[in-house]
Amino acid sequence: MAALRFNSLPGILEMNLTSSFSPNPKLSFASFHCDNKKRVSRMVVKAAKYKGTQMREKKLTELIEEKVLEAKQVCEGDETSDECKVAWDEVEEVSQAKADLRRRLQIEKKDPLESFCQENPDTEECRIYED
Amino acid sequence: MAVSTVCTTQSLNSTCSISTPEKTHLGFHQNQVVFYRRTSKRGGGSCVITCSVGDSQTVVIGLAADSGCGKSTFMRRLTSVFGGAAEPPKGGNPDSNTLISDMTTVICLDDYHSLDRTGRKEKGVTALDPRANDFDLMYEQVKALKSGIAVDKPIYNHVTGLLDPPELIKPPKILVIEGLHPMFDERVRDLLDFSIYLDISNEVKFAWKIQRDMAERGHSLESIKASIESRKPDFDAYIDPQKQYADAVIEVLPTELIPDDNEGKVLRVRLIMKEGVRHFSPVYLFDEGSTISWIPCGRKLTCSYPGIKFHYGPDTYFGKEVSILEMDGQFDRLDELIYVESHLSKLSTKFYGEVTQQMLKHADFPGSNNGTGLFQTIVGLKIRDLYEQITSSKTAAPLEATKA
Repeated sequence: MAALRFNSLPGILEMNLTSSFSPNPKLSFASFHCDNKKRVSRMVVKAAKYKGTQMREKKLTELIEEKVLEAKQVCEGDETSDECKVAWDEVEEVSQAKADLRRRLQIEKKDPLESFCQENPDTEECRIYED
Repeated sequence: MAVSTVCTTQSLNSTCSISTPEKTHLGFHQNQVVFYRRTSKRGGGSCVITCSVGDSQTVVIGLAADSGCGKSTFMRRLTSVFGGAAEPPKGGNPDSNTLISDMTTVICLDDYHSLDRTGRKEKGVTALDPRANDFDLMYEQVKALKSGIAVDKPIYNHVTGLLDPPELIKPPKILVIEGLHPMFDERVRDLLDFSIYLDISNEVKFAWKIQRDMAERGHSLESIKASIESRKPDFDAYIDPQKQYADAVIEVLPTELIPDDNEGKVLRVRLIMKEGVRHFSPVYLFDEGSTISWIPCGRKLTCSYPGIKFHYGPDTYFGKEVSILEMDGQFDRLDELIYVESHLSKLSTKFYGEVTQQMLKHADFPGSNNGTGLFQTIVGLKIRDLYEQITSSKTAAPLEATKA
């Protein structure tokens, strides 16, 4: 009989599996996804902690807007031109960069500058960003 | 990869000259030189001295996909199989793309761009174009890392669009190179111990990019669509052809369970596994090599709409023999996942329920309730298995060399 231990919201669940499968395990989830909204976490983690990260977020947001406008302009003449392809590729690049940053902040709940700022707490980038 | 130079000597006091067969790259040699000496049984005075470079057992994995297609999720699942979380290098460039954990180092191939954003604009090439990438450097550095030599790898900064000063990368136990072109250059391809291609269909790609970008100021349905379509010619010409070289392809398609579903939430995922790959045994359902259609939902297992459907069978892919395991639908409950796991074979798990445990560990990752998460997790276990097989066969080799 194998025992599995899973960490998830809410709390830690233990489940005993028998080798003959039982369709109704002792503990079951109502929903497979952990619903973060149901339980308030003990520590409230701000999205961006350091000024440097907040600046990067802002920069990428502005870049996306700028590059989309640019691409629309460049492609007006010829949609198949090299310039047009490059322009939309830039849009893709900055969109993905922004999404990566968002993911690190929201899902991994870590500020990318965390380890850099531990070593360099006095730089401009490492000032704590107050909401 | 053990390398040896054999020197025969006439007397016990002679010296042996050691040379490494390749020029060492920038960086320093991390390996120790080990001497084995064996004298002959009847004092004839000749002895064989074997010199070998020790402990260069870096296993190299290649992962190809378009940007925004779940590679980072894949990386996190993979590194999690080996234990520990992958983090950017501590104290270095905060815009580094590299991830490091105890066992693995993940390198983003964008770091080998030969042209930065301005350069590409001037030349009129996209990042997808081989002309924007330095394959010579990519080959040299991957080869060096594989041989146990650290390298100074450039950093491509996605925020500024510039090439930043290099960062030192030490050879890890497992090196993963992820990006647009891991299998494009033949020399790099030959260095890979295993390769994976994430093949996302156009409809799913569109749905995912909408989810990714719609909240951004500046984006609209039209701009997202235009970006995908504009990049398609270069993608089809340079990136897509790599899938024929992959040992495993994870193909993501819209579901067939819901007519006219265009939200891309329910997915049909196919794990295409090449046959005859060293150290890799494909997963199978029920009876290896046969063709099976399986709906696990029924009397023993109740599933909610739209349910789950599996398919398994042999096939050919670009002229090569493959086995395909396919899942359409979604997991809604823990017991569905365990039930499915208990019916799959050759998963390379170390204990019953390991796949389920890994999936639950990352229940908040995208794809945790469908075939993308399931197959990424399984591929992660397969890579662990491959790594263990390769490293145990390499420790056996030097023992062979000193016999007779």
